[in-house]
Amino acid sequence: MVPPSSHPVQDRKKQLATWAAVGLVLAAAPHLMPDSYWLRIYSMTGIYILLAMGLNVVAGFAGLLDLAYVAFFGIGGYTFALLSSDQFGIHLPFLLVVPVSALIATGFGFALGSTTVRLKGDYLAIVTLAFAQIFKLLLLNLDRPINITGGVNGIYNFDPIRIFGFKIASPIAYSYLIWISALMVVAACFRLKRSRYGRGWEAIREDELAAEAMGINTTWMKLAAFAGGACIAGGTGSLFASFQDSVFPNSFDFPQLVIIYCMVILGGLGNIAGVILGAVVLSILPEFLREYGAYRMMLFGLILIVLMALRPEGIMGEIGFLTRRKKRADRDETGVLKASTELYYSGNRASGRPDLTRYKNRGETILRLQHVSRHFGGISALNDLSIDVKQGEILSIIGPNGAGKSTVFNLISGVYPPSKGRISFKGKTITGLKPHQVVKAGIARTFQNLRLFNQMSVLDNAKVGQFCRTASGPFSILFHLPRYRQDEDGTTAKAMQVLNLFGTRLTGYRFDQQAKDLSYANRRRLEIARALSTDAEVLLLDEPSAGMNPQETLEITGFIKNIRDTFGYTIVLIEHKLNVVRTISDRVIVLDYGMKIAEGSYETVAKNEKVIEAYLGRKQRSH
Amino acid sequence: MDIYLQQLPQQLINGLTLGGVYALIAIGYTMVYGILGMLNFAHGEIYMIGGFTGWWVLHLLSRNNIPVMNAALVISLMIIIAMGVSALVGLLSERFAYRPLRKAPRMNLLLSALGVSIFLQNAVLTFQGAKTRVFHVSSLIPESFRIFHIGNVVISFARVLVIFITFLLMALLTVLVKKTKAGKAMRATAQDLEAATFMGIDVDRIIVLVFVIGSALGGAAGTLVGLLFTQVDYYVGFQAGLKGFTAAVLGGIGSIPGAMLGGLMLGLAESLAVTFFPTAYKDVAAFLILIAILIFRPSGLLGEKVPEKV
Repeated sequence: MVPPSSHPVQDRKKQLATWAAVGLVLAAAPHLMPDSYWLRIYSMTGIYILLAMGLNVVAGFAGLLDLAYVAFFGIGGYTFALLSSDQFGIHLPFLLVVPVSALIATGFGFALGSTTVRLKGDYLAIVTLAFAQIFKLLLLNLDRPINITGGVNGIYNFDPIRIFGFKIASPIAYSYLIWISALMVVAACFRLKRSRYGRGWEAIREDELAAEAMGINTTWMKLAAFAGGACIAGGTGSLFASFQDSVFPNSFDFPQLVIIYCMVILGGLGNIAGVILGAVVLSILPEFLREYGAYRMMLFGLILIVLMALRPEGIMGEIGFLTRRKKRADRDETGVLKASTELYYSGNRASGRPDLTRYKNRGETILRLQHVSRHFGGISALNDLSIDVKQGEILSIIGPNGAGKSTVFNLISGVYPPSKGRISFKGKTITGLKPHQVVKAGIARTFQNLRLFNQMSVLDNAKVGQFCRTASGPFSILFHLPRYRQDEDGTTAKAMQVLNLFGTRLTGYRFDQQAKDLSYANRRRLEIARALSTDAEVLLLDEPSAGMNPQETLEITGFIKNIRDTFGYTIVLIEHKLNVVRTISDRVIVLDYGMKIAEGSYETVAKNEKVIEAYLGRKQRSH
Repeated sequence: MDIYLQQLPQQLINGLTLGGVYALIAIGYTMVYGILGMLNFAHGEIYMIGGFTGWWVLHLLSRNNIPVMNAALVISLMIIIAMGVSALVGLLSERFAYRPLRKAPRMNLLLSALGVSIFLQNAVLTFQGAKTRVFHVSSLIPESFRIFHIGNVVISFARVLVIFITFLLMALLTVLVKKTKAGKAMRATAQDLEAATFMGIDVDRIIVLVFVIGSALGGAAGTLVGLLFTQVDYYVGFQAGLKGFTAAVLGGIGSIPGAMLGGLMLGLAESLAVTFFPTAYKDVAAFLILIAILIFRPSGLLGEKVPEKV
């Protein structure tokens, strides 16, 4: 199933035409360079595109501030230097050394990633920077007692390279080799970005906790980003070493890293076409500034400052003719608005009948909390709480602010472990599982203070939910194996089914809207849709109607009841609006000061003395 | 082992000096970070400009490398003018490079700071050239006064001076932040910029103040290092900035006492590392310590771990 707005055959043709045009230009370009100086710059531009693509995976897609990136480039370069020269008398063929250096760099990427995975933002930046500095110091000093790296002078005079019998020696041959590699890496990046990996990384960049709570193994994905970036940098390193016929510590130092970062940020983090443009501009710009001599780098600094102030989204952000105009599905070809009912039905037609049926052993206990406590420092947020949630029921948890309601959700969903007690789901203990494992087991949640992936489209937000139900790895993604197609089709179908449950609120042209552009009520709806698309059996809804007007509240209340009645979801909800609680709850649990003070139907709970006291305070005793 | 023990007091003194300087630089990073959540990449260049200013003051007040007035006065002028010039550069960079980006994503701010750094470094390169400027300290401090011996520990006057001024500045800063109204406003702004605005604090002025104080301390550090190691060139900012930032993170970025502690620890670690490792690897030791500490305490030594409200 595909979104109604795209036509696969046409898109495919257009895509082929673009690639053909690019190929043609690249075939001609080396012969059009005025002299060998510009040919060299042309080749270096290709190298920079490669480097920027790799950094774009770590810093752009996944949003990790990795300052060790340039060290992986160096590892690749020096690996080639050691395995393909007289340094140790090892002479391996180029086509073997490139994957070897990429693999070694990937290995280091994994190692760095696994030591730093707990660190966030600037702490990550400084630790990775420290690694890069250590690497540089090793390069500089490992010429004694045994000469490994050649110290300041580096290593030079490498074996001439051959690819499938072709000797690559002339600058033109190198430029072809470099640009063909760049083209392949760019294509790979496009494929990654459109896959579950791309969505997973983007979700982590937007909101790491929400990503984890939607079933993404954030630890693994961050490691994958580090390793992926390192892999590209490593391969590029050996290509660069061969092109330059020498390696020095200076080529892999901080200023080099700064230039690559500028390319990526200038292009717009994660925006592949933008990053390519950024790499091209920044490779050529210094040449045009050359006539300003000494003022060149000063100007460069100034241009950076001004660009950041004027184009905060990168040079490619919001340029009309470059960003593809989105078709609005709510308008026909002439731009006239279609009736919304028509849109709704066409949406239903496109996705078929949703099959979201949960099985219905109603009444059996599906989720059980036994004597669960949680302390924060000296404060006890929950104290010896036991709850049995029955399959197919709607259970409301109410209580004054600070009663520990959200803590219950955080404990069940694994945001933090309980201090004491046991939580089990369908008979299996889930205490101590990570949030993404809890989602995979079948429990999904929403957040009280909306945590959508704001820069992602409505459709992509819903697609993230399917991450934990799909398994295609980098290999199937890069080569578009059947596994990948199956996963993508399934994910799209599921996301659209779920969004269709909300009628026109989240469908049609809204598929492509960014989550941040939705109205508040629609964002609440999207949070629920995202949780539904994880194929969960139990939904934990944290104040689903907060901030909604009475009409919208009625609607969402009806919706929640409806998905239970139709599909058999088990729903636990935290709610402050008592009329919502009264309308839909089968059972109500009242918390106060971290303890359960009442349990039962709404009517019995509402009459309970302790509950009235918790909500209204103690009655004044008459004297 | 004996030889190490003999060297220990000497290395402690050296580490204390170096650490004090790192602490001064780290404070600038940590204060800006505390309020804007941004890594001011240009701070190292501000330190470098402080060093150059100190050199120029000394140069202009000397004839044939001999100061024309009282040495104490010259040193005071060097430090005060260096602080002033650095503060001005910090203020200008805030006004023109960072303020327009107040609401932009943090990566942009980082890049803008990189732009400032590249600009300042190359401006100095253009107008000062790449050659190293030498501080003629020998004529500034009388010989009888230049070196003290305590047992077999050698302490130069410059070191005493650096330690004294560093700790004086840190004490002044602590009083300012803890006891004055401006300090209270600073702490409030660091906690919550928006709430501070609504409580009637002129946040723009506080941010300017933070940049001015941080840059002034960085400038002082530049001149002090000039007095200590007697030279400055256009490229010293990078390494110093790196060390200052490392110290700030080590102590827990955003925390001023953390920056002081982090600086001192880094300085001591580096000096002690020289006792056990070849000099070429002393930075490796410093960075390894940083990595080890952050792996076990991901928010630094004194950094608060703020639990995310879910």
